[in-house]
Amino acid sequence: MMKRLRLGSTVIALLLAIGLFVLGGLVHPGFANYSLAINILRLAAFLGVVAAGQTLVIIGGGEGIDLSVGSVITLGAILVYQVANGSDVMVLPALIVALAVGVGIGAVNGLGITLLRIPPLVMTLGMAGVVQGLILVVTQGRLTGATAPLMVALITSPLAFEIPGVVLIWLLLGIVMWMLLERTPYGKQLFAIGVNRTTARLSGVRVPAILVLTYALSGMLAALAGFVLLGYTQRVFLNLGADYTLPSVAAVVVGGTLLAGGQGSYLGTMAGALVLTILTSLLTTLLLPESARQIVFGGTLLLLLSFYGRQHRLRS
Amino acid sequence: MIRIPVANTIRLRRIALRQSYRFALLLLIIAVTVNAALQSNFFRPSVLSDDLQTYLPLMLLAAGQTIVIIGGGVDLSVGAIVSLVDVLVVRTMGGNPGASQVFLAIGLGLATGALAGLVNGICVAYLRFQPIVTTFATSFVFSGLALWVMSSPGGNVPPGLVDAYQANLLGLPVVLWVMVVVLVLWNFLRSTRYGRYLYAVGGQSMSAYVTGVPVSLVRLSTYIFSGLMAAFTAVALVMSTNTGDPLIGGPMTLESIVAVVLGGTRLSGGQGGVAGSLIGVVILSLILNIISFANIPTWWQTLVNALIVLLALTGPGIVALVRRKL
Amino acid sequence: MKISLAAQHVVKHYGGVIALSDGNLEVQSGEVLALVGANGSGKSTLSKIITGVVAPDEGQLLLDGQKMHFSSPQSARRNGIVEVYQDLSLVPDMTVAENIWLAHEPVAWSKIVRNREMRARTRDLLDLFTGTIRSSLQPEALVSTLPPDEKQIVEILKVLSLQPKIMILDEATASLDSRQVDRLFELMAEWKAQGMAVVFISHRMEEIFRVADRVTVLRSGKTVGTALLDQISQQELVNMMIESDVVSRYIKHHEEATSSPMRLSVERMRTSVLRGVSLSLREGELLGLGGLRGQGQTDILLALFGAIPFEGQVTLSGRSVHFTHPRQAMREGIAFVPGERGAQGLLPVRSVLENLQLPSWRRYGPLLQLGKARKDADTVARRLSLIMQSLNTPVNSLSGGNAQKVVLGKWLLREPKVLLLDDPTKGVDVGAKGEFYKILAELREAGTSIILYSSEDEELLGLCDRVIVLHDGQVQAELADVTLTRSELVAASMGTAHGGAV
Repeated sequence: MMKRLRLGSTVIALLLAIGLFVLGGLVHPGFANYSLAINILRLAAFLGVVAAGQTLVIIGGGEGIDLSVGSVITLGAILVYQVANGSDVMVLPALIVALAVGVGIGAVNGLGITLLRIPPLVMTLGMAGVVQGLILVVTQGRLTGATAPLMVALITSPLAFEIPGVVLIWLLLGIVMWMLLERTPYGKQLFAIGVNRTTARLSGVRVPAILVLTYALSGMLAALAGFVLLGYTQRVFLNLGADYTLPSVAAVVVGGTLLAGGQGSYLGTMAGALVLTILTSLLTTLLLPESARQIVFGGTLLLLLSFYGRQHRLRS
Repeated sequence: MIRIPVANTIRLRRIALRQSYRFALLLLIIAVTVNAALQSNFFRPSVLSDDLQTYLPLMLLAAGQTIVIIGGGVDLSVGAIVSLVDVLVVRTMGGNPGASQVFLAIGLGLATGALAGLVNGICVAYLRFQPIVTTFATSFVFSGLALWVMSSPGGNVPPGLVDAYQANLLGLPVVLWVMVVVLVLWNFLRSTRYGRYLYAVGGQSMSAYVTGVPVSLVRLSTYIFSGLMAAFTAVALVMSTNTGDPLIGGPMTLESIVAVVLGGTRLSGGQGGVAGSLIGVVILSLILNIISFANIPTWWQTLVNALIVLLALTGPGIVALVRRKL
Repeated sequence: MKISLAAQHVVKHYGGVIALSDGNLEVQSGEVLALVGANGSGKSTLSKIITGVVAPDEGQLLLDGQKMHFSSPQSARRNGIVEVYQDLSLVPDMTVAENIWLAHEPVAWSKIVRNREMRARTRDLLDLFTGTIRSSLQPEALVSTLPPDEKQIVEILKVLSLQPKIMILDEATASLDSRQVDRLFELMAEWKAQGMAVVFISHRMEEIFRVADRVTVLRSGKTVGTALLDQISQQELVNMMIESDVVSRYIKHHEEATSSPMRLSVERMRTSVLRGVSLSLREGELLGLGGLRGQGQTDILLALFGAIPFEGQVTLSGRSVHFTHPRQAMREGIAFVPGERGAQGLLPVRSVLENLQLPSWRRYGPLLQLGKARKDADTVARRLSLIMQSLNTPVNSLSGGNAQKVVLGKWLLREPKVLLLDDPTKGVDVGAKGEFYKILAELREAGTSIILYSSEDEELLGLCDRVIVLHDGQVQAELADVTLTRSELVAASMGTAHGGAV
């Protein structure tokens, strides 16, 4: 019954996404056309990549959350910007550097959470500040560097059917995430930890190791998101990733993954990212003032929570 | 077990060690010492007074956040409530308000804060939504409302209010009196039966329930407190910044949580207190101050600040780890 | 204060399991009524019903002759019926005083809690136990720093502060030492004289005969009788608790069991509950752990599996081992079926397949060969006669018996050399139990060493080659062959010497 509910919520999210899209087209002629759809997919892709790591962290349970992703995105983008410095040859090394840094930061998060038993909210929040500090140190206030044309071609330029590379990268990530969660021992163990740490431990799962790995992956995926975002914006600024942190959590929840952990899928998160992006786009297109956009956004989130965000009663 | 001779000593020692803010107090002493060493005029009354004026808004906010956290929850919408009440108060006061209009505006602001808290509380306590995502969602609603009331910074604050904020009363700054009042009120709250309920619900809600404590009602009340304190924060900001700003509360949410944790209150609830959170606010500001006075290269300042904050946040965890391994 | 409470013909089911089919009890002011029964007799359920924790399906409760219906523990409490919990109702980070007076603190008109008065009254309450508690047990002591015996005393005082008319003590002496028990009994005599009625649920024969006036005996969900304690002997009481018919053996004895090689030996194991336990286990032997709940049986299993820290020596197939994580134990062929399947043995929302393979995913490659995993899981499921829709259905849709088979199945897949079982048939229907026993018999034949803790005497008698009975963290008796009888088992569980005569 639980599985049906979960699958149901992913389907609901997808239907909601499509529904909103169609609604947009009805309310505002010209909304629901191909090029806008592509645009939405592209915007959703950025959120989707960040939310991949967040999905893993949340599935792992224990009030898992990663609030450092926004600053890691920025750091990742800046590192690539500087290391590649416009040269195509350096793109791969730059990417590797960024990913490695992401892994390192995530691992520190994971160690703080498992070894020091710091609540994830606190640890990742603290690290977010540290990463912002690192950004300033790395850049010394001057944002020098350049975006390599290869990146632009890979990410922004239309590849097939006018679909930009980033969307294909996102789809590829979707497949990889699916395999990771459903077809590797790591994925099975992560779900187990999210459902019940005691059962997992009593079944031989090394819980701290898996958790550290999960946060490391989250850091890595955030860095990847930075890479991808750079290929689109082609410039960096200090707040590049800030607007992605909490929406990445929202995307996971809207997609049907329970904050309590132990259940969920990346497909759901992808649908959640779509819903959030379409909602925001729709609100922008309707020329609603920022105020109305935020109210509707928050209200929708609350509404979705009332369907699958509820927790246990005390009286059993 | 060794027989300890004097019962009173045990009592005092136990009470002292129980204060969850003892670590924060230590940090405070260190921070003040370092700061005073670096900044020669640190203890001059006018400088101290200015500092206190800066601390007050976040202190009020952290006080409310402390109550929610002790009760086992967390409120990520406080910054948004601050923004909302801020612009609401400024708007309601209008151009050239008389005293009664000022009071009306402030009253409306406080009521709004409490109402916002009520919304949060019903969602978390009765509908049993998860606190983090819920208050994140409501923060958008409140921010949106703030933008609707006033889409960009503006408005005027009667000079009388600003003067009142910066004034002295009986030789001490008004803001200091406010801090004292907050601590006194908190101590009162804590010594009532409600205070016991609060700690029980946050500490072990099942035990509290089995013992007959009205758990949901207590949880609801913590969010109302939080909203109310956010409203007070907004009033303080209105009085200190001289204008209305719909984005003013933004960064304050996370700062309030850091201040609470720094002050020794555990995020999981059931222990801690407002005193520690107020100390936490001061520590945060002092760290920033130290860094700017310590001639640390500009580009390193943010990192050093963040590292010190991280160290302070993880401090208790490191101590516990060392103790476990020994 | 005169009061009387009666429970008449109370019935309670939990799903398909009948916990109480005819529960009866009557207690009056000024007496201590002991409530006894073997494991599974229904005494816990009966006590939960009279304290309002659980609602009866049939039957009635009469308070002073009036029919009563308790909708919650609070409503029972309002009528003066309070239970002393076993560390269920304390808030760890609060002080002794705060815990005792929680929700009924003395307050001044200003609504401020009268701390001094609270402290003084707490002091008075604590003074009732002077001489048996440490001087550090003060009103300001944090409950989290207290050892189990002092926590239990705080729970008792918490109930006392409510001035109950009927006090129910459910295994309240389990964590207390002998002097504390003596003091408690003195106090109970005083409370009796003041008109309180006390229901004393215990498994300690000696204590029952010391403190109680009458005893009500439950057996298999029915009240079988009530007696005055000065007119009955210990042996007669034990006989009332057990069925007199002969228990059939589920597993035939094989003489080879005594001469097969030693597989596991434990010496002087100590944990927070165990106080020096030694045992040995051969290949193909089924060793039972008996005794009432909480005597350390689970600790032995957890320690052998590497799940909790312990002191002592463990030798496995001749090698000295000391596991610190279950993964290490698993690698050496040890498996553990935990006591709470929902909380420790299963992932309720995940599929049967995932539950069965949880310890073993690594065998199927970095990119899981689900087909092979499914086949192996199917084989095990068939061996266990597992009734399920498919391997993909979530485990929480299975019945209790089938869910427990899944827990066993995940270890069978690994063909363990040593199988540790913590009360595996708790809450399992009769049909599934039979299937379980068959599998245990097969495993035993194949040479697997098994340690089984069971709260049901029939299982211990019918399955095991030998049974070690634990009492208060130590081995009270080792029963085998002739001595492995119902009466010996119950007697040893209650802490009496062999034979059980008073």
